[in-house]
Amino acid sequence: MLIARFLALRLAVAVPVVLGIVFLTFMLIRIGHQDPVAMLAGPLADASTYAMIRKELDLDRPLLQQFVTYVEHLAHGDLGRSWQGGAPVLREIVTHFPITLELVVLAVGLAAFVGIPVGIRAAMRPNGRFDQITRFGALTAFSIPTYWMGLMAILVFFYFLRWAPPPMGRVSLEVIAPPVVTGSVLVDSLISANWAAARSAAAQLVLPVACFALLAMAPIIKHTRAIAIEVFGSDYMRFARASGFSRRTLRRMALRNSLAPVLTFLGTELTSLLAAASLIEYIFSWGGLGQYGLNAILQGDFAVVQGYVLTLALFSVVVFLVVDLAVLVLEPRAQLRA
Amino acid sequence: MKLCHAVFATVLAAGLAAPAFSQQNTLVIAMTATPKGFDPDIWVPGQIESTVNVYEGLTRFGLGGGDGKRSLDFTKLEPHFAEKWTVSPDGKTYVFKLRKGVKSPFGNELSAADVVWTYEKSAWQKRTGLFMKNVDRVQKVEAIAPDEVRFTLSEPNRIFLSSLTLHIPTLFDSTEAKKHATAEDPYATKWLAANTAGYGPYHLQSVQAGQQAVFVVNPNYVFDKPFYTRVIWREVPSAATRVALVRTGQVQYAEQIPLQQIKELKSDRTVKVESVAAPGAATVRMNPKFPPFDKQKVRQAVAYATDYKAIGEAVFLGLGTRARSMLSPPIPGAIDAYHYETDYAKAKQLLAEAGLPNGFDTTLEYSTNWWWEEPLALQMQASLAQAGIRVTPKRISPAEMNARRAINSWSIPFLTHLTSGFVPDPSYTMFLTAHCKGGSNVNANCDPKLDKLIDASVAERDDARWLEIVADAQKEQADYATFVETFLPGTHEVFSACIQGYLWRPHNRLMWKDLVCRK
Repeated sequence: MLIARFLALRLAVAVPVVLGIVFLTFMLIRIGHQDPVAMLAGPLADASTYAMIRKELDLDRPLLQQFVTYVEHLAHGDLGRSWQGGAPVLREIVTHFPITLELVVLAVGLAAFVGIPVGIRAAMRPNGRFDQITRFGALTAFSIPTYWMGLMAILVFFYFLRWAPPPMGRVSLEVIAPPVVTGSVLVDSLISANWAAARSAAAQLVLPVACFALLAMAPIIKHTRAIAIEVFGSDYMRFARASGFSRRTLRRMALRNSLAPVLTFLGTELTSLLAAASLIEYIFSWGGLGQYGLNAILQGDFAVVQGYVLTLALFSVVVFLVVDLAVLVLEPRAQLRA
Repeated sequence: MKLCHAVFATVLAAGLAAPAFSQQNTLVIAMTATPKGFDPDIWVPGQIESTVNVYEGLTRFGLGGGDGKRSLDFTKLEPHFAEKWTVSPDGKTYVFKLRKGVKSPFGNELSAADVVWTYEKSAWQKRTGLFMKNVDRVQKVEAIAPDEVRFTLSEPNRIFLSSLTLHIPTLFDSTEAKKHATAEDPYATKWLAANTAGYGPYHLQSVQAGQQAVFVVNPNYVFDKPFYTRVIWREVPSAATRVALVRTGQVQYAEQIPLQQIKELKSDRTVKVESVAAPGAATVRMNPKFPPFDKQKVRQAVAYATDYKAIGEAVFLGLGTRARSMLSPPIPGAIDAYHYETDYAKAKQLLAEAGLPNGFDTTLEYSTNWWWEEPLALQMQASLAQAGIRVTPKRISPAEMNARRAINSWSIPFLTHLTSGFVPDPSYTMFLTAHCKGGSNVNANCDPKLDKLIDASVAERDDARWLEIVADAQKEQADYATFVETFLPGTHEVFSACIQGYLWRPHNRLMWKDLVCRK
């Protein structure tokens, strides 16, 4: 009952937020200087062609009327068609989204798997040698531009050492890709027992996931360390230490007590990395939602940009909802607050 | 530590198992984006690059190469999907006899009905094909026999046969296309945007947006079968990644490589760089609708205040060719008409005569349509400052640039632009870029004297007189001085070392059928 009420409340708040984002995206992209009509018409078109395309794209009516029509279509699950090529935006997003999700989830998972224990260990002795090395490493990883890190990874591991496969998509040209089930080549290969494709997909994932994970790991370490220092300074932890509990037990206690805020932070990381995936996808020719959205922004494909931003917004809403539910389960005090 | 070992072990295992992809007759190309559509009438990214390999025309340019290098002779027009043609004495009626055995991958043979359907489709869509039809002055296209088609022009037109070499308006397999037509879409434009139905050497097998497109050879192609029977078009948006892929032999061709890297790749034995001084010149355009560019002396002052030497070295890294006319060298009739050299004293004198002794302030707008735009804008800022012209370079998006420079807008006073045309014909190129009604006139270039010369050149049938008019038009444009002609950046294509057969064509796109790999 409590969870149902909590969910209803959260959704009630999310609806106006998403609508606001839809409105802002719709207006801002049109207020800018980009004119998709000129791009579609090409340099050889005359005034009548311009007028024809403007009408086709519904750009000849007042902005607010265009917005109302867009929302009406949206309510029916119609995100429109790409203005370049005519493919339905919803279908394209459904195709591209799992590609990016696979990358982001694996990267955040790896970053959390390494970052959380490292953050807790660093917090056990603030300003100790391990803490100082960790802070330096995290700062360095955070300061390196993503695209540069990606390019260097390709240069070293693909170009010089020839260890990594060509940064050209999600599966090698040598293998037959599995039939699409989830959209993740790795998972789909495993489902269809296509081991060659699974091996190729895993290999293609290593460099982009590693680069992305390094980017995500730094703030996770920093955040976990800060929370864990607070936890280690609490009365119950001091009592546990005085009682002679082992370092391992202490770490486990700290982890459990830090988990709720760290989980909330991981949710933030997941949503922000989904939006930041464009550059990694661009460098590694990944072909996911980030690359799709970036192309649309550069080419003034309004329908796709709107769909892309809406997807990011909805993803954030869903992630935060799931995180809040997880926190409710993990921390009974949160139930009282809810 | 264990995790690190695991990661590196995976990388190592995968890497060792991933040699260069090599199937002898498969061409893998690294392109900036997968094609967004395949209808030659609708311009979208990747469309031209793919459709020039799918659709071919009634005529073609013959091979030249008298200098020992394989090239096309743009004065030599030959029948292609036509077997022969006749022209009426008044130059307004052309009858084409179609070649026998021209078949699409669907097995349908090219007929006069296909040619008529193509022009009807373009007229219905009112896009690029219609523009070309109007440029060609085509009034009527009729099937007079199953294998004979008659074109009636409104007036004699020199560029008509040249423009039939293009992929637009092209020859569709209308029998196949009609199967996908509906009442709302009688020309199957939706189907043709996502599929191909041509008589050329390749056709589309599959496309995954953002990933790859696969083309296979047309088994019924009427001419020699291409060496590559399958082409895998991979989307690789990062130029650095494309370079790494072609250097390691993972792809046989990488498009749009920056000039800095071209210079380096020219000395790399693992790749082959083919360079041609075409298709056009990097220019800075002045829009005479906006003061002070409405004054001819101001425009000429800008041309004199341009430091051509610095641009050649700093922007084009010594790989460009100085532009000497609004027409590029491969185009017949191009002369050295652009006489401006750097002369700051002369520039200052012209400015003073124009009533601007203290120079003026202006904004030079550029985008990222071509890689050289930003460095050129910065170099122009530095050199024009020497004559007292204070330039603020302003970067705008390609979409904004395309919109504001279009003929319906003409709202950019000072901009960077590449002069080029698909048909290597002087009359066509001049009309397109410098005539007041030209589709690629981006700077309101409306000089009545020049327009008159261009109109005369389009209609002139006597070759000697025509060349005189073309030369006069180039000189007039140089004096009108709305274009600062800098350099021809050139086309630099990067291939694997084994690739041979590259042939530059006026559409400046790669034709896969030309290529072979000989190790």
